Amino acid sequence: MSAMSEIKAYRRRDGRVGIRNYVLVISMVSCSNTVTERIARTTGTIPVVHEQGCCEFEHDHARTKLALIAAGRNPNVGAVLLVGLGCEQTNIEDVRRCVAETGKPVEAILIQREGGSPEAERKGVDIVRRLKALCESQERVPCRVADLVVGVQCGGSDWTTALSANPVIGAMTDLVVAAGGSVLMSEVAGFPGSEHIVASRAVSHDVGLQVLDMISELRAEYIETYGQKIEEVNPTPGNKAGGITTLVEKSMGNIKKMGTSPVQGVLKLGQAIPHPGLWVIDNRAQGPDPFNLTGLAMQGAVVTAFSSGRGSPVGNAVMPTLKLTGNPETFRKLGSITDFNAGAVIEGATIPETGKALYALLLEIAGGRETKSEINGNFEYIVPREAARKKRDACPLS
Amino acid sequence: MKKAIRIEPEDNVAVVAQDTSAGETLDCAGASLVAKGAVPLGHKIALSRIPRGEKIVKYAVTIGLASSDIAPGEHVHSHNVEDITNRLCNEYERAFRARKG
Repeated sequence: MSAMSEIKAYRRRDGRVGIRNYVLVISMVSCSNTVTERIARTTGTIPVVHEQGCCEFEHDHARTKLALIAAGRNPNVGAVLLVGLGCEQTNIEDVRRCVAETGKPVEAILIQREGGSPEAERKGVDIVRRLKALCESQERVPCRVADLVVGVQCGGSDWTTALSANPVIGAMTDLVVAAGGSVLMSEVAGFPGSEHIVASRAVSHDVGLQVLDMISELRAEYIETYGQKIEEVNPTPGNKAGGITTLVEKSMGNIKKMGTSPVQGVLKLGQAIPHPGLWVIDNRAQGPDPFNLTGLAMQGAVVTAFSSGRGSPVGNAVMPTLKLTGNPETFRKLGSITDFNAGAVIEGATIPETGKALYALLLEIAGGRETKSEINGNFEYIVPREAARKKRDACPLS
Repeated sequence: MKKAIRIEPEDNVAVVAQDTSAGETLDCAGASLVAKGAVPLGHKIALSRIPRGEKIVKYAVTIGLASSDIAPGEHVHSHNVEDITNRLCNEYERAFRARKG
C-alpha cells in the first residue's frame, strides 16, 4: 500500500470512517430551532435546523426524517443531541434509535418535558459539553482511502467549469476509485444527453438499465411538467453564446466529474452503499447548491469536492466541502472561500497533474486540514425536496 | 502566448482560453495552431481537418457531426456542427435494451 493511500481518521463502531468528530445538535421541528441554535452557539457545536417536522404529508415527512437521521448517522459525527418540542410529528425516539444504531452516543431532550426553553437549553448545554469532552478524548487512527466516501459536485459555473475544474475532479475521482475508495455523483438532472456514456461505463447490463431507466423517467417528467423536451430548451441561448454547441457537450461537462471509472449502480437517497467504487445517487431535487450537497452528506459522503467557476462559499453541517475553481481569476479574487486552483489548467498545467494535486489536498483534508467552508462556518444543512408539481399553478401576477 | 486547451488527447477540437482573432497563433498541448477566424473565449477551435459528416470529438466522446468541411484553426460551433444528441442517445438505448444481459 502506498503512503498516499493512508490517512488518519475516526473509525466508527459500524465500521464506517469519518474524517471529523463533529458534535451535532439536531432540531426535530421548526418549533425547537431556537433552543437548538442557542445550545450549539453556547457550546461551539453545529446546529441542524430546518423549516419542517410537523403537519407534513407522508412523503414530505419521510424526507425530513431521513435527512435528520442521515445527519446524525454521517461518520463525521461523533455524538448527537436531539432537541424536540414534545408534540411534533417527528418521532424523536425513532430518530434516536436510528442514529444510535451506528454506535455513537445520542441524547434527546424535549422542551415541554424540560419545563420550558431556558430549562431545555441549560440541560442541553450540559449534555453537549459532556459529549464534546468525550469526542475530544477520541483519537484519529490509521485508515485507508478505501474507507472514504467522497462526493463530487459543481455549481455557480462559468466557462472554466467544464474545461478545467470538472475534468480535474474526474481525474481525482479515478484516483480515489483506484485506491479502493467510493465516489458519489448526483446532479442527475444534468445527465440527459450523455446517459449513453454513463450507461456504457456500467459494470453490468442491469446497472446500465438502471441508468437508462432513470433518465427515461426524467425525460418523461420534464415533458409532463414543462410540456417540452429537454433538447428543445438545451443548450440554452446563454450556453450557446458561451460556446456550448450540443446537448451531449453540455451534459458531458457535468459527467466529466465521474472520470472514467466504472459505474457500480444507481442508489436512491437513503440507500446504503453496497460496496466501494463510483455510484450515481438518484437525487432529483432541483434547487440551490446546498440541496445536492446535503443529499451527498445524507448518503454518507465525508467530504465533497465542489467546483465553482464563479466562486461559492457553501459547506455542510456534517461534511467538509473542498471548494475548487477552474478559473484562475476567481481563485485570486475569492481565495478566502476557495481551497484549490484548478485554473492552473488554463495557465498551462495538465489535467492529470492538477487532478493529482487535488487528490493530495483531499487526503490532507481527510487527515484533518480544515476547509475554507469550515473556517468560515459554512455548516448548512438544507433538506433536498423534490417539487411535487402534479398541477401547474398559474402565476398570481399574470 | 494565447492558449487553447485540449481536454483529452483524442479530441479533434480544443477550447480557446481567451478571445482570439483571425491569424493569431495559439499554443495547444505544446503544438502551435493558427486561428482561421475569430474564436470567442470558451469556444471551440478545430485541431485538424474535419471533413463534412465526420465526428466532432471533445471529452473523448462524439459531441456532434461536422455539417461542412472544417479546416484546422477554424471556429467550431452551431454554424458547422450538427447536433445528433437525440440519435446518439436513442440508438444506444435501443441497442442496449435489445441486448440481454
